[in-house]
Amino acid sequence: MPSDTTGFWTPVALSADLPAGTVIPARTPAGSVALWRSEAGRLAASADRCPHRGMRLSHGFVRGEALSCIYHGWSYAQAGNCLRIPAHPGLTPPETIRVAIHEVAEADGVIWVAAGVPASKPPRLDGLTPLRSLTVLAGKDAIETAAGGKTSPDGLVETAAGAGGVWLLAADDGQTLVHVLVRDDAGTKDRIAASRAAESLRRRAENLQREGIVQ
Amino acid sequence: MKLYDYILSPSCYKVRLMAALTGVKLDLQPVDFHPGLEHRGPELLALNPAGSIPILKDGDLILTESSAILVYLAAKAAAEWLAGDKPEEAARVQQWLSFSGRLTTSLGGARLHEMLLRPGDIDALQAQGISALRELEAGLVEQSLRGRRFVAADRPTVADIACFPYVALAPDGGVSLDPYPAIRLWSRALRSLDGFIEMPGIHRLHELKPEPLIETGEA
Ligand SMILES: N[C@H](CCC(=O)N[C@@H](CS)C(=O)NCC(=O)O)C(=O)O
Ligand code: FES
Repeated sequence: MPSDTTGFWTPVALSADLPAGTVIPARTPAGSVALWRSEAGRLAASADRCPHRGMRLSHGFVRGEALSCIYHGWSYAQAGNCLRIPAHPGLTPPETIRVAIHEVAEADGVIWVAAGVPASKPPRLDGLTPLRSLTVLAGKDAIETAAGGKTSPDGLVETAAGAGGVWLLAADDGQTLVHVLVRDDAGTKDRIAASRAAESLRRRAENLQREGIVQ
Repeated sequence: MKLYDYILSPSCYKVRLMAALTGVKLDLQPVDFHPGLEHRGPELLALNPAGSIPILKDGDLILTESSAILVYLAAKAAAEWLAGDKPEEAARVQQWLSFSGRLTTSLGGARLHEMLLRPGDIDALQAQGISALRELEAGLVEQSLRGRRFVAADRPTVADIACFPYVALAPDGGVSLDPYPAIRLWSRALRSLDGFIEMPGIHRLHELKPEPLIETGEA
């Protein structure tokens, strides 16, 4: 991931895994977030903790342009301000009730969340199409060894020939979110093969990690 | 058709859900599974010596395996929930029906351990549960690459219903569902089907419910 002194981007999910009107959990180095897309298609990321009683907002639901908490239904706007408290229908929620938000960017089928204020945009993935995301219980070193490649400054690992396309990594403590990418022109067969190869690579990386061969 | 049923049993819920989706009317016979262990008492052992529920009784037909019960309900009322005549689809339905038994032992075992303090190696049960979830995730990814939204076809079948409850309740056994985007989309697709019913811990898509205008009670 490109980083600079003020902030950096983490690739947290694929666009296809977040349809309009849904919310999903995501991990960033700045903590867990509730990543959601409004019915009109606007993306937002908030801290995954409801200011009311701490319920995970990623367990909530999207209605229209608001994210609602599953617990008592408090709802929040993209900007993080509380819009509505169902138990007090006449009340305009005070400005002080708000959930922390993060900047979000989407390009080439990948959704990125900012930690801090990055000076640049997330890297582009020219010629590549995202296939799937999977969590690997291993660190970057074990994954690089299993994949037979080194991570580029953009977070990309070119896997050894035929072994499942290109991986975009988002490392976290002890586990790594891997986004499997294939060439734009890959057909269904190649895509299925890349998905299966990713399963094998994950097994190898996790074995390396477990056996302590790689830290 | 009489179902020996327990509200918190995911295996019994499979049958109730299938019946609701296919419009079959069941005569529910509640079983005191916990704490009464009624399923291990003489009357129910006479119907099912294995000492498990669900049990479906229709005339002199007694079924004690949830997958067989799902097939029976679908064959009677809604054949589109069964495999069509393509060999591949027929095989995929059987593949995931059999696989569902592994969800019962792994994720279901972890859940019984966590909720009812049943003895068991919780770490092993959770690890087996995670392996099973990864298999299902990979299967669903491949299906979506083939343009299909469900485990065996582009329509839901008995195989989806067989797999769904223990997957949806995985967090009860301490197994997170966060890492599985394809499972999340599949679960949403199932929970938005017409006729979908809930059980404790498994909800219809909230956004499909009418907006509560006034709520009472503590906020
Ligand atoms: N016969 C299998 C297994 C069903 C099963 O495991 N049922 C649980 C309840 S959810 C049970 O009766 N367990 C017996 C026990 O734990 O005492 C099926 O129908 O899928
Ligand atoms: S915890 Fe979110 S509304 Fe109460």
